[in-house]
Amino acid sequence: MTEAQAGDSRVDWEGALLQRARAGDTRAFERLYREHAGKVYGLCLRMTRDVQLAEDCTQDTFINAWRALAGFETRSSLSTWLHRIAVNVSLAKRRKSSPVEPAPEESEDAPAAWTVETPVEVEEIETAIGALPDGARDALVLHALYGYSHGEAAQMLGIAEGTCKAQLHRARKLLRERLGMEVN
Amino acid sequence: MTGREGPDGRTLVKSLGELPQSIEPPRDLWPTIEARLGGIEAPAPAATAAQSIGRRRSARLRWLAAAAMIASVAVGVWIGRSLLPLPGAVPGARSPASAANDTSAVTGAPTALDAAYVADPRYERQRAELLRSLQTRLAALPPASRAKVMASLETIQRAKEDLERALGRDPGNALLQELLVNTYQDEMRVLTDVREASDPGEGI
Repeated sequence: MTEAQAGDSRVDWEGALLQRARAGDTRAFERLYREHAGKVYGLCLRMTRDVQLAEDCTQDTFINAWRALAGFETRSSLSTWLHRIAVNVSLAKRRKSSPVEPAPEESEDAPAAWTVETPVEVEEIETAIGALPDGARDALVLHALYGYSHGEAAQMLGIAEGTCKAQLHRARKLLRERLGMEVN
Repeated sequence: MTGREGPDGRTLVKSLGELPQSIEPPRDLWPTIEARLGGIEAPAPAATAAQSIGRRRSARLRWLAAAAMIASVAVGVWIGRSLLPLPGAVPGARSPASAANDTSAVTGAPTALDAAYVADPRYERQRAELLRSLQTRLAALPPASRAKVMASLETIQRAKEDLERALGRDPGNALLQELLVNTYQDEMRVLTDVREASDPGEGI
């Protein structure tokens, strides 16, 4: 089976589960949860930097998804849809616990790839990312780790694309300082 | 993640894209989610949202119609009990003997026979109309439902006959009067339900 065929088969399988979940089948929804929980939790943890908050956000994400299943269009990716919900939930939870930081000036340019000069330990780079200011970290996580375009990341975060790019510039500068090496 | 292993066994990455997107939660979050889902209505498909609104509206109308019907029965009975004279009796004139035996003569309350035999003409019309189409509508129901409806109507009919006989013996019994009114209401409810259930687009 080719990768594309495997992808199609997964989508079909996911579509069937979605259909059952829409009809109120919680077992089908549990299987969707098992499939996506890791990525959703990973995103929530990176955005909140707090295990307890990330757990709450993950649970709220799936509860909100269950409520909104009827409105989900199967043409779009379930993963992206869940990530959008997770970002909204995480931003809302974070807003409650900390004040909103001022957004940087908009920028028209941003790094295309996120590579470091020499290989870095995962733990070290995760710590450096975790230490970034909220806005810069959000943009970096969505764009560099989860592969969303500047426009998609900006839309998910509810900011202008230029602001998102400026946050990515800021993230690169801070990472360079913390890791002591060039980040391209 | 496509990172490589360092000399001490720790994973190294050269690109942020190599970091794992997925991180497993430290505990299983599903039981809490499942418990919370229990209090939430199951999601309805978007395509049927309009239909469900229609169904809700139809159900509401059905209940309103039933309530109106019941109200008309009650009003009809009340009118009969309060305003209309007993068959064969002269308004305002009662024999001393009947007045002595009938508590309503003292209290001014209507007699049971008033309640039992006088009804609102609208109620009579609606009931007659429902009874006319009953056989056709019953034929449209699944056998199990049809049997249940028939059994209910027979029970109601027997109750009506028993109550009317009892009221013949004890015309002033307020409890029997109330039970009779309730039985009429039950009959109307069953007849209305049969009509709704046999209409296209409706179900039991």
